[in-house]
Amino acid sequence: MPVKVVQSSFRDRTQEFQSVAGRLRKSFSSGADQNGPSSSTSRADEQRSVVAHQSEFNRRASKIGFGIHQTSLKLSKLAKLAKRTSVFDDPTMEIQELTAVIKQDITALNSAVVDLQLFCNSRNEGGVSSDTSSHSTTVVDDLKNRLMSATKEFKEVLTMRTENLKVHENRRQLFSSTSSKDSPNPFIRQRPLAVKSETGASNSLPQWANGSASSSQLFPRKQTDGESQPLLQHQQQQQQMVPLQDSYMQSRAEALQNVESTIHELGTIFNQLATLVSQQGEIAIRIDENMDDTLANVEGAQGALLKYLNSISSNRWLMIKIFLVLMFFLMVFLFFVA
Amino acid sequence: MKITSLLVLKCQPEGSDPVILANASDVTHFGYFQRSSIREFIVFVSRTVAKRTPSGQRQSVQHEEYMVHSYNRNGLCAIGFMDGHYPVRSAFSLLNQVLDEYQKSFGESWRAAQADSTQTWPYLDEALTKFQDPAEADKLLKIQRELDETKIILHKTIDSVLARGEKLDSLVEKSSDLSAASQMFYNQAKRNNQCCSIL
Repeated sequence: MPVKVVQSSFRDRTQEFQSVAGRLRKSFSSGADQNGPSSSTSRADEQRSVVAHQSEFNRRASKIGFGIHQTSLKLSKLAKLAKRTSVFDDPTMEIQELTAVIKQDITALNSAVVDLQLFCNSRNEGGVSSDTSSHSTTVVDDLKNRLMSATKEFKEVLTMRTENLKVHENRRQLFSSTSSKDSPNPFIRQRPLAVKSETGASNSLPQWANGSASSSQLFPRKQTDGESQPLLQHQQQQQQMVPLQDSYMQSRAEALQNVESTIHELGTIFNQLATLVSQQGEIAIRIDENMDDTLANVEGAQGALLKYLNSISSNRWLMIKIFLVLMFFLMVFLFFVA
Repeated sequence: MKITSLLVLKCQPEGSDPVILANASDVTHFGYFQRSSIREFIVFVSRTVAKRTPSGQRQSVQHEEYMVHSYNRNGLCAIGFMDGHYPVRSAFSLLNQVLDEYQKSFGESWRAAQADSTQTWPYLDEALTKFQDPAEADKLLKIQRELDETKIILHKTIDSVLARGEKLDSLVEKSSDLSAASQMFYNQAKRNNQCCSIL
């Protein structure tokens, strides 16, 4: 398509633009050198700080966006891995590594987004133009939304993976009925059973001493081990018994620690629950206010409509009266004439 | 996870065989003709294991398909025959409880025993049936299981709270739309009254 050369009147303002840019650049560098605040340089400082903040904000926002993009790529890889798990060829290690990496990424991105929001709020208090503040809040909201969708996808992938694992476990139980571990609860912790063996060894003594010394502070039961030291001639048995005592105590300690960590997790879950509910309470209050406004409006409208109705009906009465009077005069005139 | 038998024995200082003080066995899942031999087997193995367990020690022995756990405390020894799935920790806490109970009910009279006692101790039989589920014996296991159930329930709660949050969000939007619409309605009704004079 031939382009007609348009005889448009245009002005070449490139020179002005370049002079303005050069002036700004000079004000940047001069503002960096000076220490004392004066009116023009303070404004340049403000501008520079604003621009620096803006570019800082942009840089951080772009970094976060890039991080989110990478995390979503890894997440799609994880989803593919989780979907294709078969019964025998289970890339469990990769999946676990990837899960840990993604979790770290998501938490890091979360904290980065929160930092960015604080930063943006702190900067917006400095009385900047509303456009920049709305732009920055929009950007922060967008980043938060993207991070939330990535987290939701991650959760879905994890649930899908646990379902797959359960299905595989069921199928495995169908085919091999002997090795059925009776643990419907995946959190049952079992210590490996210690098997007694008649192995004679001469290094039982340091093992014994180390074993009793390390755990005697924690468990008073271990004191009885010190009492049974004169039985050292049964070195074989004791070499097995020390690990068994240790493993018993260790299993108890481990179980206690598990209980404690579970309680701690429950505490955090409750805290999150409380936060969620309080936020939702605020929303509920807003809903209530909206409904009150609606009620007031509708009542006012009803009153207005009633008045309207009254006025209409009363007007009709007036009209009838006027019409009757007119008819009366007409009749009078008719009689008068005829 | 099954307990086949629980025994309490008195361990002699050295050399001689331990004396059986109480015995509770559940051999019902064996055939009728094997039951007595199974009982003999249990008695014999428990005597051997108790003889080899020094005082103040816990021990676990694997014998065919059974795990024999023994705990010797000051000459009084408790032995349990369990299958491989029974967690070791619960087994030992169960033996602990049995010993405590025995000492509470019989005091120190067992020290004088020289021959196998043939009386049954009802607590042991009850314990055998009650503690087939290891959670009963081991408080830690019970607590851990309850905590895990609670955690699952809390996860479900949080999911439902999140769903509630979404519904509340939609409600708040609808209510704000409603209030805007009602306000327009009110203005319209007011305007009806004002400027038009009905003729």
